[in-house]
Amino acid sequence: MIAEQPSNRSEEEVLLAFSVEPTHDRKTLEKYLTDYPEHAKALVACSIELMVDATRSAETVATSEKAVDRAWQRFQSAVSQGEEASVISPFATLNPGAFKELAKRLNINSLLLSRLRDRAIVAATIPSRFVQRLATELGATTDAVMDYLRSPPAMVSGHSFRSTVKPAVTEQISFEKAVETSQLTPEQQEALKVMQD
Amino acid sequence: MPEPLKRKDLNGMPYERPAEIENWIKKLDMVDVADRFLQFETLSRKSPGYVPSEALVYFLRRAWIDGLQGDFEKLFRILMKRIEQSLCSAISDSRMAGARGIREEIMERFAERIAKDCRGRLGMLDFYEIRFDKAFSAFRTSVLRQIGPSVVDTVPLVTEKDDGLEVSAEVEAAAAEFLDGDPEKLDDPAFRLELTAAIDCLPDDQKEVIGLLLQGFQIDSKDKDVMTIARILQCDERTVRNRRDRACKALRAILQEENAQ
Repeated sequence: MIAEQPSNRSEEEVLLAFSVEPTHDRKTLEKYLTDYPEHAKALVACSIELMVDATRSAETVATSEKAVDRAWQRFQSAVSQGEEASVISPFATLNPGAFKELAKRLNINSLLLSRLRDRAIVAATIPSRFVQRLATELGATTDAVMDYLRSPPAMVSGHSFRSTVKPAVTEQISFEKAVETSQLTPEQQEALKVMQD
Repeated sequence: MPEPLKRKDLNGMPYERPAEIENWIKKLDMVDVADRFLQFETLSRKSPGYVPSEALVYFLRRAWIDGLQGDFEKLFRILMKRIEQSLCSAISDSRMAGARGIREEIMERFAERIAKDCRGRLGMLDFYEIRFDKAFSAFRTSVLRQIGPSVVDTVPLVTEKDDGLEVSAEVEAAAAEFLDGDPEKLDDPAFRLELTAAIDCLPDDQKEVIGLLLQGFQIDSKDKDVMTIARILQCDERTVRNRRDRACKALRAILQEENAQ
């Protein structure tokens, strides 16, 4: 059955894996729906697209060189950003005051925001509407924020650890679990639940 | 031998290119570079010598690894032209508001994926060396879910409120006639093709229901272990039936119109 057991795989990755399956029959779709319930809507949409794609025209049409030029420019800019740039924390420039202020604007608390910053939450379980809002507030693109959130959890530089215990990489939890255990008010929890995809 | 793919499937087994693609790569590897580019430039799938896009992606990636920047740009542009062609068909101007902008955004996002692959991240392009068209369809679906218009321009045949519980006798009859009346019709490949093309004209919520029905899912079941359409779409079975009935009425009208032409 469709149980909420989120995976670490992004929607795009799951759809791509589904798309290259030898067949796209009911059995295959059922398997993916069971394994990736958080991507159920996307999988259904994808299965139908794969079905109707075969009926679409394969005729060549006149295309513009402009669109290809723009894609080339985007490629050049993306490739020149380099590996490091793509996973720079979008939270990096926030001082403690700005961090708290950001939490307030998102109608969450600092604990939940810290968990997001530390990538302690499974990225695939974070509602896309919330990621979009977070990206808007951070002045970053949704893709950049999602890339960061998808990166493996790690200790973020710039934090001070005053402990006799060696700091360890945080174990990731689902967004739902994080909402339940971050001492949010019932109203804040409700507002976040509404955003679930 | 072409370089093996890096990604592993859900069972942990390495993905492999289809034998046909491996053969294309080996064949193209043996010809002169200039001749290879001539072959790559064939845009029409119907033309003899049309190189599958899977092989094109292989040579694109190889050009990057080998530092052949000029070749890489040429291959990038050829691939993007093919992508634009396929997008013009899937997201035509007549079907979706702002189609051109959406097509360009999808192309640019795909360009970013190529950039990520060049930087050695994720190996996502492996999928495109296995079944390019299917993989790109999946990519397009994912991007459209993020940036596509909330309403696709579809055939406005039905005006009733979708999830209302009342369905007219006329709609019910149309549905019964269509799917229940002659289910064997679906076994006819020509009819199925015609039907699938008509499904493309439906609004998304109706398309979901009909698509799942065609894949063999049942609307509802008392058995909680059965994956039904109502459970997949997380809605009441009456809503599913309403969407099915309205979709059937619309499909019937589309097919009648097409057959009358």
